Amino acid sequence: MTGSNRLGGLVARPKPSTADDVRKIDEVGEARGFVDRTPRKKPGRKASPRTYQMHPKILPQVGEAITEEAEALGLTQGQLIEKMWQVYLRAMNSPENDRSGA
Amino acid sequence: MPVIVLASPKGGVGKSTCAVILASEFARMGAMVTALDCDPNRSLSRWASHGLPAGVVLRGDIGRSDVVQAIREADGDGRIVIVDLEGVASQLVSRAISQADLVIVPMQPTALDAEIGSEALALVKEEEEALGRNIRHAVVLTKTSAAVKSRVQKDLEQQLHDAGIDVIEPSLVARSAFSELFAYGSDLTAMMNNPEMITGGRVDKAIENARAFTEAVYDRIK
Repeated sequence: MTGSNRLGGLVARPKPSTADDVRKIDEVGEARGFVDRTPRKKPGRKASPRTYQMHPKILPQVGEAITEEAEALGLTQGQLIEKMWQVYLRAMNSPENDRSGA
Repeated sequence: MPVIVLASPKGGVGKSTCAVILASEFARMGAMVTALDCDPNRSLSRWASHGLPAGVVLRGDIGRSDVVQAIREADGDGRIVIVDLEGVASQLVSRAISQADLVIVPMQPTALDAEIGSEALALVKEEEEALGRNIRHAVVLTKTSAAVKSRVQKDLEQQLHDAGIDVIEPSLVARSAFSELFAYGSDLTAMMNNPEMITGGRVDKAIENARAFTEAVYDRIK
């Protein structure tokens, strides 16, 4: 910015911005072909990031227990296995499980 | 402070170039300028990514649902709001026009630009009637020849005058310095003072044209 500000005298004027005003503006615009051209979002469910397929064969009673537990928790079996993996990692990293021999 | 909206349903007529020239020149004159980039091509954001002149702030990625709110937030004492729109006929355009103190419709001196640009002028008139509010509007001819005024340009100016449409003088001449603003950012004065910014054209003439155009716009908003 340079020089004196001779624009200082310019003042803000009220504008029509109520919901009713906007509705009226949209109607006038649409009549002349000024329509909503906002890009539509892709329909349908978002792709899951869980793309890795495991094929474990386990004992029937263990499989049934995992299935029931997942259902009770409102999770998929894959999500339950991920939680079990987190528990396993924590257990492996705990001091009680120190396998360094120190 | 005034809200200046650059509108035309046709692309490539010079809306973003006008917006950059007005933002940087009003800032140079001492105003705090908020530039709103409502064009999905993000021309103003690209300009800003190379550096903004002092006194200009930019808000980008503004769509149909938030344009009225964005203008209202930016509008106020001590600030000029410049709104660069997409080159299509959309509700975003009609909503932005409703918030304007001055709508500028850039047109190249061709029959096609005049025909499509007139849609924006007609929309302004209809919004004025619907809202019971006067929205000042004007046409600026863009990318005109520096050397000679073509017959088509003279005819178009005459037609606009006959239709009672305000035509901003001077027109914006086709200058490489205007295009290069999007490559270098900032403003024409910085371009003039930095020998590393090469435009291949007369920056001094571009500055002269930009200042005269901005003064003509100022006369319409003061």
